[in-house]
Amino acid sequence: MIPIRKFWGNSLILAFPLFILSSCSTSPEKITPEKYVPKTLRVEISQMKFQPATITVHQGDTVEWINKDMVVHDVTQVPNSTWTSSSLAPGKSWKMVVAESDDYYCSIHVVMVGKLIVQKP
Amino acid sequence: MKMLKTLTTWAAASMALILTQTLPGFAQQTAKLGDDEIASVAVVANKNDIGFARIAEKKSKNADILQFAKTMASDHQSVIDQAVALVTKLKVTPKDNAVSKKMTADAKKTEKMLNSKSGAAFNKAYIDNEVVYHKAVISAVETVLIPQTRNAELKSLLQAVVPTLKAHLEHAEMLQSKFTK
Ligand SMILES: [Cu+2]
Repeated sequence: MIPIRKFWGNSLILAFPLFILSSCSTSPEKITPEKYVPKTLRVEISQMKFQPATITVHQGDTVEWINKDMVVHDVTQVPNSTWTSSSLAPGKSWKMVVAESDDYYCSIHVVMVGKLIVQKP
Repeated sequence: MKMLKTLTTWAAASMALILTQTLPGFAQQTAKLGDDEIASVAVVANKNDIGFARIAEKKSKNADILQFAKTMASDHQSVIDQAVALVTKLKVTPKDNAVSKKMTADAKKTEKMLNSKSGAAFNKAYIDNEVVYHKAVISAVETVLIPQTRNAELKSLLQAVVPTLKAHLEHAEMLQSKFTK
């Protein structure tokens, strides 16, 4: 757990670049200098790809993967499988609060890879 | 029927080669396949790869091969389930035809070849066949089945299967390079 004070402190430092980024974001109203409200971002699994394959988030944001293919996939950290969605049947989704940058893949289709980047202040 | 005779003389070649080399030819020289025949070809193509995977699951002790075979069995079954659900909805009954019969016959030969091997030779034979087979099926789906399919939903199902086949091919090629080192 991050102490609340530290988290808020980081948020303030984040606020300036965030403000710039927010000009092209779909929900700039969620970002205020006082407090960062974690967002949920979605990664679609379709046509045997994680889309987008690389996603940049803030610490504490949630990423949700949804399987839009007709085959089962999973979302698994590489190289140590420190976290995994387990099997995601077609139509199913799974979400996770992102703590740190990580690479991941589908352990069923090992050629499917993705990346989570946590934006640091 | 002359075409069929020609096909028969190729019996010794692998099913995959037959598919890539004669399926386009077959399409050009004979009447086009109906949607019921295309549905049959699609189901048979998936069933064959499940058959190969079942042999691998029995014969291989290699973790990468076993994982790949499990994925093949599971994914190709999902495709069959989708195809069956769609043709049932469309009231199309998959119809055996020269192409699907040939594919079944050739798969039996491939299965016999795989069953005759063991150990490292089996792993290599299995993955080599998976590479060739997926290439052949991708080519057949893209150049024959999709262009000839009349029903839009069946066509889009076939189109949706292509990325899966391509990911399988990429995965198979990755393993093949390991086994050829
Ligand atoms: Cu997958």
